[in-house]
Amino acid sequence: MNNNSRENLQEFFSSGSGKIGSVLLVIFILISVFVVFTYPLNFGTTVWSNPAYWSDYPKSAPPTWTNIFGNDNVDHQIIDFTTPADTVSISNREVRTYTHRFTYDSNISPTFLSLSLYDVVYHDRPPTISLSILRPDNEEILIYREIISPPRPGEDGPYVRYSDSPFRINLSGDKSVSSNLVGYIRDNSNEQISINEIIGSNEKVIFSNLDSLQFDEILTGEYELIVRFTVNNENDSISKIRFVLGGSSYGLLGTDSLGRNLSVGLLFGFPIALLIGLTTSTITTFIGTTMGIISGYTGGRTDTIIQRLSDTLSNIPLLPILLFLIFVFGPQLWLVMTILVLFGWPGLTIIIRSMVLQINSSQSIEAAKSLGASKWRIMYRHIFPQLAPFIFAQLVFFTPAAILAEASLSFLGLGDPSIPTWGQILENGFRTGGVYIGYWWWILPPGLLIVITAMIFVFIALALEPVVNPKLKKM
Amino acid sequence: MSLLQTLIVRGLSLLVVLITVLFLCVIVLGATGYSDRLLTATVSEELRGLRQSLSQNIRDPNELEQVIEDRREQLIEFYGLDQPWYYRLPDMVFRILTLDLGEARTLRSFSGSNSVSDIVLERLPNTIILITSATIITSVIGLYVGVKIATQVGSRLERSVSYFSAISYALPAWWLGIIFIILFAFQLRILPSSGMFSVPPPTEPLARFLDRLVHAILPVFTLVIVSVGSWSYAVRTMVLNISQEDFVNVARAKGLSENLVMRRHIIRVAAPPIVTSLILGLTGSLGGAILTETVFGWPGMGRLYYEAILAADESVIVALTFMFTLLYVVARFILEILYIVLDPRVRYK
Repeated sequence: MNNNSRENLQEFFSSGSGKIGSVLLVIFILISVFVVFTYPLNFGTTVWSNPAYWSDYPKSAPPTWTNIFGNDNVDHQIIDFTTPADTVSISNREVRTYTHRFTYDSNISPTFLSLSLYDVVYHDRPPTISLSILRPDNEEILIYREIISPPRPGEDGPYVRYSDSPFRINLSGDKSVSSNLVGYIRDNSNEQISINEIIGSNEKVIFSNLDSLQFDEILTGEYELIVRFTVNNENDSISKIRFVLGGSSYGLLGTDSLGRNLSVGLLFGFPIALLIGLTTSTITTFIGTTMGIISGYTGGRTDTIIQRLSDTLSNIPLLPILLFLIFVFGPQLWLVMTILVLFGWPGLTIIIRSMVLQINSSQSIEAAKSLGASKWRIMYRHIFPQLAPFIFAQLVFFTPAAILAEASLSFLGLGDPSIPTWGQILENGFRTGGVYIGYWWWILPPGLLIVITAMIFVFIALALEPVVNPKLKKM
Repeated sequence: MSLLQTLIVRGLSLLVVLITVLFLCVIVLGATGYSDRLLTATVSEELRGLRQSLSQNIRDPNELEQVIEDRREQLIEFYGLDQPWYYRLPDMVFRILTLDLGEARTLRSFSGSNSVSDIVLERLPNTIILITSATIITSVIGLYVGVKIATQVGSRLERSVSYFSAISYALPAWWLGIIFIILFAFQLRILPSSGMFSVPPPTEPLARFLDRLVHAILPVFTLVIVSVGSWSYAVRTMVLNISQEDFVNVARAKGLSENLVMRRHIIRVAAPPIVTSLILGLTGSLGGAILTETVFGWPGMGRLYYEAILAADESVIVALTFMFTLLYVVARFILEILYIVLDPRVRYK
């Protein structure tokens, strides 16, 4: 028996598809294990479907590596200020200055600018924060100034602000920023422009050559960010100031229209896909096998009932009924899997039964019976082992069916919103019109992953075929 | 006579499937309170119409309210809303059977009607066109390729077809559709990306037909690609199994040409199981059609499913679930007849 199984293993790995399938499966399992240990359990609700989490990411940005094809591109930059470069005390006030120099050499403007304040603590009067930018033309423009919110009536010091979640200012769309810029242009060139002309695209003004006032020519060169934090008590503090310069491309796989990092979402899809596929197929195969053996071996009325039931169930078109039930009961992943099992087992039962009927008439079963083996013992010890290789092949073969069914359902808008899957990411892209706008990085990778996952199991099933069905080996 | 008997038995078992789906729908709708909502909406819709027509004849508002209130009670009793849902089961089954499902919430038919049956029935032909043409093309290609590779097992062609069948099994129809749109409609710009007609549609009959044909190429091609691989492979396996039988060897030994052996002795015998496998693939192509229509904006029942889900229009979804099951049962029955025609054992029993 042992020798035989080693032979089978050799047979399995001798085929190309068996090798490819197993290697890919191991890789997928490793990725899934990594995700399970590094991602929070409630990733779907707290991270993926939480727009605030993704506010500082560029929206609909293609992957960074597309730049090698010559696209002009702005790098996404996150600049964190934690220690002041310079501290100056004037009377009882203290001005802490944070600076950062960078070279801007792209010919397109950043996609957005934002500033976030983390953990402000003050003791008497509220501190002030201001952001200026020193441009290559040696002009310093004041972009933003804010007084931290004053103590509420009845509140005692020290006053803590923005400790739960940071205070984020969208500099591109902030009215006070626009008004600062309008003021600067008026003072410098005596030109009057209205706030409405530039609000929403303040970043263009900040990074453009201001000679033309069309804001379409980027001023390249050395820029310096200057953040001044003015406090009235030397114990006042701010833990972090974050400046984000929105890039035009992001990461390995880009972002979607909400700024979500697609590679993060797609990684989460690995364990989910394997979970859906393997759990559903294991339970389906278990029920299908049990029912098939019972039906074929016991015969009589049990057989008739099981056969009628599985005939009817296996004849119901799966997708319409799945859509209907999920629509009525609500999109929940476990429900999808349950329904797939419910309508999936009868097909296997019908096949297993016919195989059991053949085995029944064999002498080995007759011998076991005459030795007084019980009904269950015969089914478990004598019939099941003969079917086991076939059943295992069926389990492998059914796995992609479950993964594909879930993906189809998600694609039709009935995915479980608390658990992001590849199908859902693709559906989001499709519904946003990604196909027509050309967001290929949003559409292709999730579909490709679904195909590869399904293919892994098909390849393994293919390699198993000659092991399970030796008749095919001869040819 | 036995032929008729066989047909009746097959027909009855398919009828059982249809009725099971109907009852499943109705029980689920009843137990979750959907059917109450559905009927209440129908009642208030009828009362609204009544109020409009009566308000011209009855001037006294109190009297009007009284008449409407009486009518409401009548209607509630008529629809059985005063009873628990399980008393209404037969009635609901009948309503679904006749597609008497009231009005859609937001969806409209192309002509502007909001009756569920109008919306669904109008789309039925479009779905049938898509599925039938795809199935016919798939069968023809699958038969040809399957038989061809069965005669050259181990050849490069045979191996590439088996790899292709593995890939096509793993390919979701909708994703392939999206790739085709990106490739043929946006990169190469040779085929339209969605819909069934250009905007504005041509008026002349021939131009109209050609326009529809051009729009159908990508959806049909998608459906064919996702199913043709596994189908050729199935045909290959069945033909192979039979070509190893003794009677085939005898035929060869008699000196019959390979062509004749294939046609008379192998394919003739392999035909019934081939049809069976076509039958088994049917649920798959129905699901494929739903997804393909969605991707290509093909105005059939599948696309309607997607629209109804987005609009949360439950009566349309119920109607569609029933219609797809009906479509399946009918198509299945046609294939059963084909099976009986092809398998003499059933005919001469």
